Amino acid sequence: MSRFWTRFTRQLGDAVFALLPTLPYARPEKPVCAGDAVFARGLTAGARTDGPAAFRDADFSIPCGCRTALIGPNGSGKSTLLRVLAGLVPPQSGEVRVAGFAPALGRSRVAYLAQRPQLTEGFPLIVRRLVQMGTYAHHGWFEECRHGDEAVDQALARLGLTELADRPVHALSGGQLQRALLARAFVQGAEVLLLDEPYAALDAASREIIERFLFEQGHAFTVMMATHDPADLARFDRVLEIRAGAVTTRHACAGHDHRHA
Amino acid sequence: MTTAMLELLLEPLSEPFFVRALVAVALGGVTCACLGAYVVLRRMAFVSTALTHSILPGVVGALLLGFSPYLGALAAALLTAGGAAWLASRKGSSEDSAIGVMLSVMFAAGVALMQQANSWRDFAGLLFGSVVAVGAEDLAVIAATAAGVLFGLRALHKELELASFDEEYASLLGARPALMRMVLLALVALGAVSCVRLVGALLTTALFVIPAATGVLLGRTVPQVMAWGVGCALAGGVSGLYLSYHLPAVPSGAGIVLCCALPYLLARLFAPRR
Repeated sequence: MSRFWTRFTRQLGDAVFALLPTLPYARPEKPVCAGDAVFARGLTAGARTDGPAAFRDADFSIPCGCRTALIGPNGSGKSTLLRVLAGLVPPQSGEVRVAGFAPALGRSRVAYLAQRPQLTEGFPLIVRRLVQMGTYAHHGWFEECRHGDEAVDQALARLGLTELADRPVHALSGGQLQRALLARAFVQGAEVLLLDEPYAALDAASREIIERFLFEQGHAFTVMMATHDPADLARFDRVLEIRAGAVTTRHACAGHDHRHA
Repeated sequence: MTTAMLELLLEPLSEPFFVRALVAVALGGVTCACLGAYVVLRRMAFVSTALTHSILPGVVGALLLGFSPYLGALAAALLTAGGAAWLASRKGSSEDSAIGVMLSVMFAAGVALMQQANSWRDFAGLLFGSVVAVGAEDLAVIAATAAGVLFGLRALHKELELASFDEEYASLLGARPALMRMVLLALVALGAVSCVRLVGALLTTALFVIPAATGVLLGRTVPQVMAWGVGCALAGGVSGLYLSYHLPAVPSGAGIVLCCALPYLLARLFAPRR
């Protein structure tokens, strides 16, 4: 009986979804990165569209697979730049492309990890389900998650969360939560990872797991990470600095093809 | 001893009105408990109070104008939700105070309309519930709403869960958290309209909040929270009906709400700390 209902609701959901092909949700995107993963010309943006600009006329580009550190003093606009690239804040002027397209919501190839994720406190959710949320990008409206279990297991293992999979999310420490959110971005299939100071308030163990994930598997991702740690810069291929409203590139790196292309 | 207790349980079942009331309470309880999970988790208890209270002018107005009270109630609840959203979108007005304004304005309008209708007595059932007066037609409305609400919650489960837990990630994926919020408000309005017969406009919030708050204490996932909430609502609703049948001093609406509060108290005292 319950199997009948599961099948029935699934099929009804699929039928309804088939009627709504234009919804900007879960568009399948082919993972092909060629040339520049991030490209900006004359980019001016502020934390709010109608507020003051944090930086003006920024020109930079980041080749596919390149790991970029984003540095600058507090309040210089690092978070704003990452939010513009993620599509959460529209630019005030200028041209910007991420993975070949103008930043927009509803894109599974771009993942963004906020400095302080605004999660509803005390929400009943286990870690596995949190990571599974990444697969929502590959499901349509009305569909329940039914594929992607392997990817979830793999992501949990790579970020050292397998034993915590059944823990409630609100019982996680800051570092464990950061790892779970990164696992979610991985499950999402994102190629461009925009990370806003992911190491803030992390213990050494969590930081090492995250670093291994980001830096020790070829150039599977294009990473752009805001950071304050000068000792860390050697790990990156390229450094972007925001200072006094200007964005300058300090290193350059050659492009890499994405390994899972 | 056992036969006497069995008698207490079986005797009311021979009354058709009691059986209808039981079915209505079960359907309404399930609907409200499932919706209530999101109401509680998203801290929307105040807006659900506003929606349930604003049913009053809708029903009285519909009776004065002579059309279906259910349609009037739904229109009033949707007007409240829309009005609060519109007021809150203006600069310098928080959502909290916008809901407060809509709640008191709608309730005051209802009181004024009741004066027009010239009879407070007729509306006691509207304010405090009259589940024993539920007829076959009301039962059909409650059942249809329950089916609609439960289907909506099932179909949009992952979108609602994501938008309630992590709004920013939801908008990054294109799952439209603002739209999800509006859908949820509409579902709450629908649920409130169908449940107002059970416990009355003043107490319908209790059906949204108390079972789900019990569920939140006991469940580790959203479906578990809903399941515990449904259990609490069914137990409280059925025992409340029996209580008011055997103790005529306790009105049915009050009995249901008081009996729902008991499992909450037990869960509060004995649930394992998480």
